[in-house]
Amino acid sequence: MSRLLLALCTGTCILITGPTLLTAQERSYEENALRIDEHGGTISIVRGVSETVVAKIGVFRAVDVAAVVSPSPKAIAEATVFQRNYRPGTWITSLGIATLGAAVGASRISGLNRAIPTSLTIASVSLITYGGFRLETAHRALARAIWWYNRDLK
Amino acid sequence: MKSRILRALLIGASVSGATAGAQTISHAAPPVANSESGTVAGSTRTAPPSDSSHSYDAQALRFESHWGSADIIRGANGPVIGTVGWFRGFDVEKLVESSPQAATEARAFKTNNFRGSLVGGLGAATVVVGAVLTSNSSNNAASPILIVAGAVAVAWGAQHLNTGYSALSRALWWYNRDLAR
Repeated sequence: MSRLLLALCTGTCILITGPTLLTAQERSYEENALRIDEHGGTISIVRGVSETVVAKIGVFRAVDVAAVVSPSPKAIAEATVFQRNYRPGTWITSLGIATLGAAVGASRISGLNRAIPTSLTIASVSLITYGGFRLETAHRALARAIWWYNRDLK
Repeated sequence: MKSRILRALLIGASVSGATAGAQTISHAAPPVANSESGTVAGSTRTAPPSDSSHSYDAQALRFESHWGSADIIRGANGPVIGTVGWFRGFDVEKLVESSPQAATEARAFKTNNFRGSLVGGLGAATVVVGAVLTSNSSNNAASPILIVAGAVAVAWGAQHLNTGYSALSRALWWYNRDLAR
């Protein structure tokens, strides 16, 4: 009879450990899910309710986002797209802004061929547009990477 | 005797299996986060509907920036269900109302986005007016003041827009967190 009681106790113990596993799963999203926070031109990737900063992506400072989202294959693919576009995007946009400055400067020089500031302006607008397009692509890829990473959390 | 013990163990194990299965479908009441501080508080929350149609794959939201505005997208490759940005009035609060924390953050987004758009827009207009006055070579002392005041307003507006987008990010995070997984 005591053996029977012992067996029932064992069953009850197994019963009790069930919800403990669930709580761990629930906490997985709360503690590990990522999101993007942007302040003053710096993109921060923060984790969980505590909002721990796990990566900071500055204007010229790229971060290995693929490593941050590494367990999820689709998130890694999107992170790769981000990394392929973010740095070129920032450099091309910066070059465009610098060219725009040069165009403004050239337009103020008297006696200079008018074709120079005009072509500089066209070049700068093209560079800024193309750079902006690359940055947009990067930002969208980052949003998708985070989404996939969170989706694949247990 | 041994067979009885075995049977009791089997019953215990099968009951525990059934309970665990049921709990993975319905959420146990987890702790709630205080939206202001982001810390976990002890109150309960209303769980959103947790049928299979509310699965993370099909329902989870994200936003993707798009030349100054942001598209809110549902699901892995889902449709754009709204666009937010300068003076765009999409009701994010209604979208995420099933999650109380998300709704609070959505309200913060709405407030900051409106303020940021209004003050930033006015600031940009002031800068343009100041620049036009300066380029017309007028000796009006107001023109540098207009440019500086406009730039300050643009910076203030940008700060509020940033805060707004942070709140939007948190709102979608909370909404996705409260989806059945």
